[in-house]
Amino acid sequence: MTTEALALLVFAPLVAGLVVIAAPRRAAAPVAVAALLTLPFGLWPLTLVVWRGETVQVALAGFAPPLGIVWRVDALALTMLWLTLVVVLVVSLHALTSFPPASESGQRFWPLWLILIASVHALFVSADLFNLYVTLELVTLAGVAMIAIGGKPAAMRAAMRYLLLGLMASLFYLLATALLYGQTGTLDLYQVGERLDDGALALIALALMVTGLLVKAAIVPLHVWLPAAHGKAPGPVSAVLSALVVKVALYILIRLWFWSGGAAGGDGAALLLGLLGALAIVHGSLAAITQTRLKMLVAYSTVAQLGYVMLLFPLASTAAFRAVTFHMVAHGVAKAAMFLAAANLLHALGSDRLQRLVGADQRHGVNVLAFALAGVSIMGLPPSGGFVAKWMLLEAAWRQQGWGWVAVISLGSLLAAVYVFRVVALAFAQPKGGSVRASVGARGGGRFDTTALAALLLAVLAILLGFASAPLVALIDRGLPPGMLP
Amino acid sequence: MTIGVLVDLMLALALVGLSLRVVTGRALFRDIVLFILFGLVIALSWSRLGAPDLALAEAAIGAGLTGALMLMAYRRLVAGGAEDVAPRRRPPLLAVPVAVLTGALVALIGLAALGVERVPDAAGTIVLEELGASGLGNAVTAVLLVFRGLDTMLEMAVLLVALLGAWAVLGEVHPGRLHQVDRRTPLVGALLTTVAPVTLLIAVHLLLAGTDAPGGAFQAGAVLTGCGVLLVLTGTVRPRAAAGLATKLLVIAGLAAFVMIGASAVALGRAPMSLPGTWAVYLIETAMMLSIAVTMTLLFARARALEPERA
Repeated sequence: MTTEALALLVFAPLVAGLVVIAAPRRAAAPVAVAALLTLPFGLWPLTLVVWRGETVQVALAGFAPPLGIVWRVDALALTMLWLTLVVVLVVSLHALTSFPPASESGQRFWPLWLILIASVHALFVSADLFNLYVTLELVTLAGVAMIAIGGKPAAMRAAMRYLLLGLMASLFYLLATALLYGQTGTLDLYQVGERLDDGALALIALALMVTGLLVKAAIVPLHVWLPAAHGKAPGPVSAVLSALVVKVALYILIRLWFWSGGAAGGDGAALLLGLLGALAIVHGSLAAITQTRLKMLVAYSTVAQLGYVMLLFPLASTAAFRAVTFHMVAHGVAKAAMFLAAANLLHALGSDRLQRLVGADQRHGVNVLAFALAGVSIMGLPPSGGFVAKWMLLEAAWRQQGWGWVAVISLGSLLAAVYVFRVVALAFAQPKGGSVRASVGARGGGRFDTTALAALLLAVLAILLGFASAPLVALIDRGLPPGMLP
Repeated sequence: MTIGVLVDLMLALALVGLSLRVVTGRALFRDIVLFILFGLVIALSWSRLGAPDLALAEAAIGAGLTGALMLMAYRRLVAGGAEDVAPRRRPPLLAVPVAVLTGALVALIGLAALGVERVPDAAGTIVLEELGASGLGNAVTAVLLVFRGLDTMLEMAVLLVALLGAWAVLGEVHPGRLHQVDRRTPLVGALLTTVAPVTLLIAVHLLLAGTDAPGGAFQAGAVLTGCGVLLVLTGTVRPRAAAGLATKLLVIAGLAAFVMIGASAVALGRAPMSLPGTWAVYLIETAMMLSIAVTMTLLFARARALEPERA
């Protein structure tokens, strides 16, 4: 049953993508929707097994490692799969309206979208260093293509820069994979962890791999490609880029560090990664505060929020692992909501300059509400998912008396409050006279459609995560890294 | 000192010399030609290292196709009146530190790798032991199709995504605006009547040989692309405004064949990606070759679809 479930997660969106390419246009929507709706049926049997504390393993083509590739789903992979499912389903709801499958733009969007979903699934379930390389390439390349999909020069430039930096990062990763294979004779994540000696070559390989992944995960100072790429992409694409695509690199990094002997880099390396995270939190937040465009502000907020994940490496405790995994989920949902709301406002107002937002609450209340709710989670205010994540992280840092980390986490929330409130305050501001009313909602606006519904759904989920944190934490606890005790 | 060592030394020197010339060159066109040469020397190096499959792929893709793409880009730059084509005065500011760091990294890896011993039960060793069970004679093809088919399937998805991305940013295509070539000149005529059939023959040979000897879908597809590039450059085919069903099916054939066989294994109660027999290898490889060739030719021609030019 679990084999079929796993195969479904990877193959269903892939087949749907191929069908959408070749079939007549009117078939695109039903095929895509049908494939998306099968995904929960793939995830459920896996959840039942992992909830019992077991791990799902499937040797592809029946060849066990080191000869073959293994799909392996533990609690961490399952958590990320659930995040993927929720984000992808709701963002697809948005895309059904913003990229109608039968239209010209939809014909470009949907095949890439479905292949992207398949490759994200294939990445999270993979337990093989080279297979992870291929899936990471596929995820990046699909992301690049989707940024450029509108054909606007700014988006094309952003996509090109992302592509070039992403390729460089891939080369680092690939070189490291070759070095690790040369030393251990295997590509399986867990076998590499068992067989790796901490010699000079291992350290070089790990340094290369971590560098490559930091570029893909846009950790300061290797984040230069992210703001434009996420800020200029179409709404649903921005949402999934920030919610999932940067997270996959962090996911591999965490796997590498805690499962494949990456911690051999030592405390110095872990501290360095943590400092980069702290830098990301401060720099990303300050840059977000100074932005004049809404989507760029949200993109810089992603740079800041990714920094929190890096604090896991120096803290390296069960509490920190729990907090950071929770944070990846909470941020994914909230940021997808924020980007969808920002994209809806941009579409309705014709521009995402912050000044244009004045009085937006009257005509675009749902989107402003979605943005504000998502902002509550991003800031880490109770009772949101973001609050639970940041609170657990603070507690983890506090227990280890990492006062510096405590200060950075608190400062990050404070700065996040500044940039979120800046947007919300503008949106609720009273327009001067009647002049703004004419400019607001130039394109009809106001209508409550599925695009606004998608943003609101995700925003509400971001808040609900705060109330329903217990099951998620329980799930995370079923897949702690080796050596960590619940 | 044997002749082999001498050849290796010459290859090593040629690689360093050529790469220096490529990055310090003052004229773009010459740099491209030297880069193609560089690719060929790398291909020779692979064959000296006992990796004929890699050598074939490098020669066909690294030197051949990449070179053709670069020359095409150069042609467009010149046609567009780009000033970039003019000789560069000096290298960019970052060039020296990047070169020094890369050199240091390579030296570091080389030094560290000296102490590494061969792992007894490495995946590569097991592949050779299990080769008989796969029904194939070529270990590389066995890894690509049988032992690690998932990687290859996803690589085909990478290729498809690259094409979809290129299509997305392509914009309007004006049919019939490609190249004006007089096909009656002896050179073009001879090229078409001799080289095109020969490339076709080589491609099919590489494909069929690939199961037992060096070769396979990637090399065959790259050689077949050479045929496609020739048809594009001689104006035998011209771009169409939109891709028809045939083009779409050809483009997805490789991935589709892989997906269908890989997924149907699950329905039959076997592990995903299990191949039902050697016939499946041939089927997938043929589909992959066609997809690779059509995709690369379309990328080269900057087109959504191609049709014969009615002269």
